Amino acid sequence: MIEVVNLSKNFKKVTAVDQVNLYIEPGEIVGLLGPNGAGKSTTIAMLSTLISPTEGDVLLNQKSILKNPSDLRGVLGVVPQEIALYQDLTARENLQFFGSIQKMAKQVLNKRIDIVLEQIGLQNEPKKLVKHYSGGMKRRLNIGVAMLHEPKYLIMDEPTVGIDPQSRNHILKTVKTLNENSNMAIIYTSHYMEEVEFLCNRIYIMDKGRIIASGTKEEIKAVLSSENTVHVKLEYHSKGFVNDLLEQPMLSNINAKEGEITFTVAKGMDFLPMLLSLCEKNNVILKSFQVEEPTLEDVFLHLTGRALRN
Amino acid sequence: MFIALLKKQMKILFRSPSEVFTLFVMPIVLILILSYALGSIMGGDSEMTTIEMAIIHHGDEQEQFRNVINDLPPNLVLDQQAIDNIENSLPVSLLFEELTTDKEMQNLIHVTQLEGKSLAEVKENGDYDVVVEIPQNFTKEFLQAKFFNQEKPAFNVYLNESEQITSTIVKDLVDYFQLQYTLQSELSENNIQINNTALPSAQINSTIRTVDSLEEVTSSVYYTFSMAVMFMLFVAGTLAGQSFIEKNTHIFDRILLARIHLGTYLLSIIVSSVVFTLLQVLVLFSFSYFVFHISFARWELFLLLTIVFSLVIGAIAALLSSINYRSNSAGASNLFSTAIVAILAFFGGSYFNISSLSPFLAKVGMWTPNGAALDGYLTIAQNGSLSDLLPNITILSFLAVLFMLLAFLLFPKRGGIV
Ligand SMILES: Nc1ncnc2c1ncn2[C@@H]1O[C@H](COP(=O)(O)OP(=O)(O)OP(=O)(O)O)[C@@H](O)[C@H]1O
Ligand SMILES: [Mg+2]
Repeated sequence: MIEVVNLSKNFKKVTAVDQVNLYIEPGEIVGLLGPNGAGKSTTIAMLSTLISPTEGDVLLNQKSILKNPSDLRGVLGVVPQEIALYQDLTARENLQFFGSIQKMAKQVLNKRIDIVLEQIGLQNEPKKLVKHYSGGMKRRLNIGVAMLHEPKYLIMDEPTVGIDPQSRNHILKTVKTLNENSNMAIIYTSHYMEEVEFLCNRIYIMDKGRIIASGTKEEIKAVLSSENTVHVKLEYHSKGFVNDLLEQPMLSNINAKEGEITFTVAKGMDFLPMLLSLCEKNNVILKSFQVEEPTLEDVFLHLTGRALRN
Repeated sequence: MFIALLKKQMKILFRSPSEVFTLFVMPIVLILILSYALGSIMGGDSEMTTIEMAIIHHGDEQEQFRNVINDLPPNLVLDQQAIDNIENSLPVSLLFEELTTDKEMQNLIHVTQLEGKSLAEVKENGDYDVVVEIPQNFTKEFLQAKFFNQEKPAFNVYLNESEQITSTIVKDLVDYFQLQYTLQSELSENNIQINNTALPSAQINSTIRTVDSLEEVTSSVYYTFSMAVMFMLFVAGTLAGQSFIEKNTHIFDRILLARIHLGTYLLSIIVSSVVFTLLQVLVLFSFSYFVFHISFARWELFLLLTIVFSLVIGAIAALLSSINYRSNSAGASNLFSTAIVAILAFFGGSYFNISSLSPFLAKVGMWTPNGAALDGYLTIAQNGSLSDLLPNITILSFLAVLFMLLAFLLFPKRGGIV
């Protein structure tokens, strides 16, 4: 088990990470969710021994690794947020290099390279120099390098940014299969809710350097279990209608965009008569309305008052 | 694993057209241009300051002349005119005259006649660029050679070896003088009637040597080595720059996570530099071997010096990498490639022989790695021995160790952990 305890990191004036606690057990997939600048990459860099914390500790099986990071490094595979590849080598050569420095035996390595190239869908391009790859292909190889040596813990920092939806699905499935078949534990950082919802058993939500919520998907959503999200579509936008909504004490988190309005409302609250009378008052035609179970996006909105992505 | 680090480095270098151009093509082009463009200057004709020449004459020419005339065998009868002719063309006086009366000569050479001083003394104090030593019985033997067909005497010319360009000019002058002298002797000979006996002209064999008895070098030799050492320096900047890219793109994080020891990483930079500079030298020297027919017969000395110098290059590459990593910018290696190499090349004598400007600069030059290496290569090219090479090897080894120590000390200790 890897744990971080009261982990903080200050860069001069900025507190990038503030008293973060989290853990990951062998075989599980943990999501780390948060907007730009939340401190995800900084947390991950400390967790993977690449920068030292200002405060706090990183433990592997209850033992601090700050003094001697070697043991932890031995069980990690890291997909950095940046493309950490040699642009002047081919995919195969990159894999060969990173495999060799992991001291993989030649035959094992060559077999693994074929498997990994297949998994990341680059089996047909191993002879091309990486600099001639598309952005998405580089991302895929960036992931491939980290899982080449079958680490016990795979840490992925926004691995799918810029990858087309098809490849993304393929990668997500691969990651899930890896986890199921070889019991590889995965920390998955993202600001895509869908990915985290699809992959992860447990989730940490970060904002401004702090963990603002953590738990299983269900536990986190339970934060909003007392509320429903309502989507309303109007024939055309009406300022007066929105202003009237804003004055209703039973509604919260009102978000209006053109003719579409979302808000949350306590469960069991009979808001329909109010809605209809406001429509009539403002001469607004209601096209549709929908009551939804909360998503992680809603949780984030609820916790921070901001949308995850703008 | 170490091999993987090297292989990767070589592949990357050779796949970069601009690096290959800078490290292999540029030096060849420059060797060609400089050898031809500056060949004439190196050959002898340049605006030099006056050459200081000392003539040490151990005997008295007039006395020897009178003794020879008096001791002539009875069957050799010379009339007064012939005797006067001989007196007017005594070799030492003629040499002195030739060097001091001609206006052009005077601009070029300042001659001092020294009596009763030992050669060692004169060479020691180093005031003279060239020392001509005329042995005790030179005139006597010269005249006897003329009359009796005996073995021709020789005088010795010693050149100060630190002044390569000067030495070349002096050699040309002395050669020129010899030719003139032979002609003059032949002309005066025609006026000498010695009982119909034609006298063979005596040629003076001057033995040209630099003080350390080294041969002169041609411009193609000079520029082969000066460009080689200069462009080998660029390898250090290039490799340090590439190692910083590894940090910048987080590849270095992957290397750390693979539990590669920092020492191993630095060592791989050093060894890559050594391998690469050896390849570079192989290409450049082969070029000069085939194009200029420069001799590398004493390959073991060349190899020794090249290996020691490439270790210095490796050490510089490692040191620059350490500074780059520490300052988290490619500033150090960029500065090295864009400015420091040029400065080192200047003081090390890659553009022109700096020792001709001042002895002080020559000393400074010896402490630049490229200057020490260049001087070493020239020493080998001039038939210097292993012991002549020792100062260069010592300086280079010292620099290699110093730079390596600094590199290991300055490299951020916990790698990514700052
Ligand atoms: N080396 C650094 N020096 C100074 N400030 C830094 C440094 N690295 C990160 N920060 C700051 O720390 C904060 C957290 O950055 P971090 O990269 O951890 O965020 P993130 O959650 O990974 O964001 P993103 O989704 O954009 O990757 C930001 O405000 C950033 O500006
Ligand atoms: Mg990040």
